[in-house]
Amino acid sequence: MADNEDTGGPSVSEPLDLVRLSLDEMVFVKLRGDRELKGRLHAYDSHCNLVLGDVEETIYVVEEDDNEEETVRTIKKQEEMLFVRGDSVVLISPQA
Amino acid sequence: MLFFSFFKTLTNQTVTIELKNDIRIRGILKSVDQYLNIKLDDIEVLELAKYPHLSSVKNMFIRGSVVRYVMLPRSEVDVGLLEDATRREAANQAGKAR
Amino acid sequence: MSFFGFETKLPRDRDGSGSKGFFETSDPFADIARAHALEDDDVIDFEDTYDGLGDQLPDDQDEFNDDTFGAGGADTSVGRDFDFFGKTAQVSDVIGEEQVRYSLQNPNSARVAPQPAAPAVQPAASKTKRSGYEKYSDPGYIPDLQAKSSVWGVSQKKPEPVAAAPAASTASRKMMSLEEVEAQMRQQGHNTSTPAAEAFMRSMVDSQYPQPQHLQTLPDGFPPVPPEFLHAQIKQGHLPPGMPHPPPGMPELYGGPGPMPPGVPLHMMQNANLPPQSMPPAGPRHVGPPQAQRPQQPQLPHLPQQQQVPLPNRTSANGIPVITNPQQLRDLTEEQRNAYLVEDAKRAKRNHKIFLLSRGNGLMTPQDKNFITRIQLQQLVAAAGNVADSDPEAVLAEDFYYQVYSQIRGAPRQHPPPTPGPLRPDLSVSDGQQARADNHMQRMQQQVQRAVEAAKAKPKNKQLIIEGSLGKISFSNAKAPKPMLNIKRPDSSEGPKPKKQSDLSLSDRKSILTNLEGVYSSLMAMEDMERTMPPPPEEGDAEAIQVHMEWRQKLHSLNQKLWRSLKVMEPIVPNSTTPHPFIAFLSYPKGKKAIPRIFRHIDQEQRVTILTMIVVHLDSLDVVRLAQPVPGEAQPSLGVREAIDLFSLAVMPCLLGYVNEAPFNIIIGLLGLVINQTHVQTVARTKVGLGILTMLLSRAEIVKEAGQASEHDWQQWVQKFNILFDTLELGLNDIFPGTISSGDDMYVWQFLAAVGIGASPEQQQRLVIAVKDRVMETVSYSKTLPADMGSQRLSNVNLFMRAIGLDVELLG
Repeated sequence: MADNEDTGGPSVSEPLDLVRLSLDEMVFVKLRGDRELKGRLHAYDSHCNLVLGDVEETIYVVEEDDNEEETVRTIKKQEEMLFVRGDSVVLISPQA
Repeated sequence: MLFFSFFKTLTNQTVTIELKNDIRIRGILKSVDQYLNIKLDDIEVLELAKYPHLSSVKNMFIRGSVVRYVMLPRSEVDVGLLEDATRREAANQAGKAR
Repeated sequence: MSFFGFETKLPRDRDGSGSKGFFETSDPFADIARAHALEDDDVIDFEDTYDGLGDQLPDDQDEFNDDTFGAGGADTSVGRDFDFFGKTAQVSDVIGEEQVRYSLQNPNSARVAPQPAAPAVQPAASKTKRSGYEKYSDPGYIPDLQAKSSVWGVSQKKPEPVAAAPAASTASRKMMSLEEVEAQMRQQGHNTSTPAAEAFMRSMVDSQYPQPQHLQTLPDGFPPVPPEFLHAQIKQGHLPPGMPHPPPGMPELYGGPGPMPPGVPLHMMQNANLPPQSMPPAGPRHVGPPQAQRPQQPQLPHLPQQQQVPLPNRTSANGIPVITNPQQLRDLTEEQRNAYLVEDAKRAKRNHKIFLLSRGNGLMTPQDKNFITRIQLQQLVAAAGNVADSDPEAVLAEDFYYQVYSQIRGAPRQHPPPTPGPLRPDLSVSDGQQARADNHMQRMQQQVQRAVEAAKAKPKNKQLIIEGSLGKISFSNAKAPKPMLNIKRPDSSEGPKPKKQSDLSLSDRKSILTNLEGVYSSLMAMEDMERTMPPPPEEGDAEAIQVHMEWRQKLHSLNQKLWRSLKVMEPIVPNSTTPHPFIAFLSYPKGKKAIPRIFRHIDQEQRVTILTMIVVHLDSLDVVRLAQPVPGEAQPSLGVREAIDLFSLAVMPCLLGYVNEAPFNIIIGLLGLVINQTHVQTVARTKVGLGILTMLLSRAEIVKEAGQASEHDWQQWVQKFNILFDTLELGLNDIFPGTISSGDDMYVWQFLAAVGIGASPEQQQRLVIAVKDRVMETVSYSKTLPADMGSQRLSNVNLFMRAIGLDVELLG
């Protein structure tokens, strides 16, 4: 294992070490294209590829109504298990 | 190699792939490579009406980089093992970085 | 008519174009124009726009077209010579040998050879006729990738430098044929026919010595005297002086700087049985290009024959003298001769084999072969199983999920699992979840049942059974009005304890999660260690013992590391607002999931420490604290229920497993801790809390029934039990979850049964009074349920009823 130094835990030295703390925890993920995900983090790698469980996806769609006023509509979708390609990921945050 | 390893266990399972251009394709995952390029068989395009040009396509090779999501069957994923594998991968990466 | 109006006929089908070169059509586009004209006059006429550039093409160079493209087709035998990489190549080396031998035999004629004044005809011819393979003549072009049998692990018979040869020979191949062409041109009328040349060769040998029979069986075209013999002969200075001179045609042939007799090469080619390997690569083999010849040939004439040793590597491998001349055979001893003949037979056999194999020769260019060789090498490396990855640990590191998943689920896999034995027998939580949860409940049920059966064997209160009528029970009920009890609850003033969930500050959260990941790191390291456990050392094998000791030492240090990251030994701060680190650890799903894995790697003492820690903090465990029934809600929130389920299936079995083997005094101690350190009624209103109490009570009963409890211990236990009973009695009705229809109350009946067994007759009566309503409700409710569900509910109740010596049957 990597943390051979006897600190009793992995030192948080790299950004992804922080993500490791959220393994098996609920996380919030912001994606390109006005999308957000909330779900339980089951896997990640250095490219920010993710596997999330019990995911709720929120898509924000900007629409112009008849008065030319912009309204933001949200679409929500549920997925039981989702692989997310890392190049779409903007941020990963623990969801307390 | 974590996700390559992961997807290998999902071969011959039915998955739904959402591409970055919003097309969603359901099919049987036939194979995957280290770039997470994916070969799908017996495909079915969701909202086919929007993408009629795909109506006659029966199987396809999807370049990994155009994938946004892959929706997976939960029953085929060993979550605990996957988390362990992720920890190992993280440790391996850290080990390589040093 | 073609789509675009082009002339669709192939050039060869066109009239009058048969022998024309490409540019000889004065107007190559005229056909198109014609086609247009036939079809449509309105469109732009090609002739109108054509600027006539095609007509300006210089046509005066076209004389060579026939040479280049072979369209002339005048001489078919020459046409064959353009098969540069085919049959010509196969014989060029042999020709080289012949030439060397000849020049040795005829120093005079050889002396003519080295004239650097190469034939004037040649350079021009070789320049104009480009074969397209010129680049191959650059020896550096082809990497040394010739397929050798050694690559495949087959020992090569001939250690000659085969690899170098093809490069050199390819260089000469093309030129060879050109020279042949030249020679053929110049020697028109001088033709030595093919059969004649062969006959000459034969007679040359036969006249010297009767040829051994097997030599005659050589494939046609194989030189009767293997050239390597010749070389060895030279080396040994045994060149027989009496070698007959070749017939008249030959001297000019070899005397010339390059030209070959037309007969021999053709003959060789027609019998092209000799793949490059079969040709002994010799030094002065460069018969072809004069340039290559120059450095070699001049030496030959000037050196005395005895010293001509430019050819190393000529002694045969097995020490048999190499025979280059039939004369030599006579000088050999019988033994040597036999050996020689055997060798010779072998060679003949091999040559025949090569002949059979050589039918496909010339089909591929060297580049093709190169390409195939690369592929084969790649496959070899792949088939050898990734030499770098052959370490199972390395494979596991790269492909952990797949390998382990395949092992757990038995998924089809290409390779056998790299590691023997189960990697992680306990790993597949999600897979075996349901089964394990059931298993846990069953074990609990069994334990309680065993206790019940044991208790039934000697009923304490027969009277109760007799009095187990509805009348009696309802009488008891009136004695204990429920509303009163609730009011009197000592803890009601204390207020609700829950709602402390978000007390954790962010940094606490992070540090706890860090601890958790540390635990997992240690766990995985220990699991890896377990897999690499050295075999148990044999007596007296000091080294193995040493290895084993080191392994144990490492495992122990990992255990200590694991223990530290668990934070179990952190001091307990009473009345602290922040929960104990270990309890916080347990509040995370992955903390709960880690417990079974942790328990596998720690000793009994550490297990009892963890159990104690949990018991002491029972009421601050998330699964207890957050699971308190909220008025108006039938059951806890979904998240809490998930946490409870996870705790029940991950943590409880471990604790039960330990408790089932724990000595009685520990059970007594634990019960004391529950009573003294926790808020018992809070604990009792939750599934997990009741589960742990049930565990302790039933274990005590079993110990007692087994007669393992000393009188003193038992007294202690009874004392603690009485306190517990008194504390709980008033709230017994609150321990049921929700309403009767809300389902799962099995664990409550289990608990009541466990209490019932240990209770005194008087306590049993009080117990019956307290829960009598619920019993009646359940019995009547079960009748409204489908048969299987109903009987399930009934049997749950009955577990309790039997514990106190009753039966639901008695309730009618």
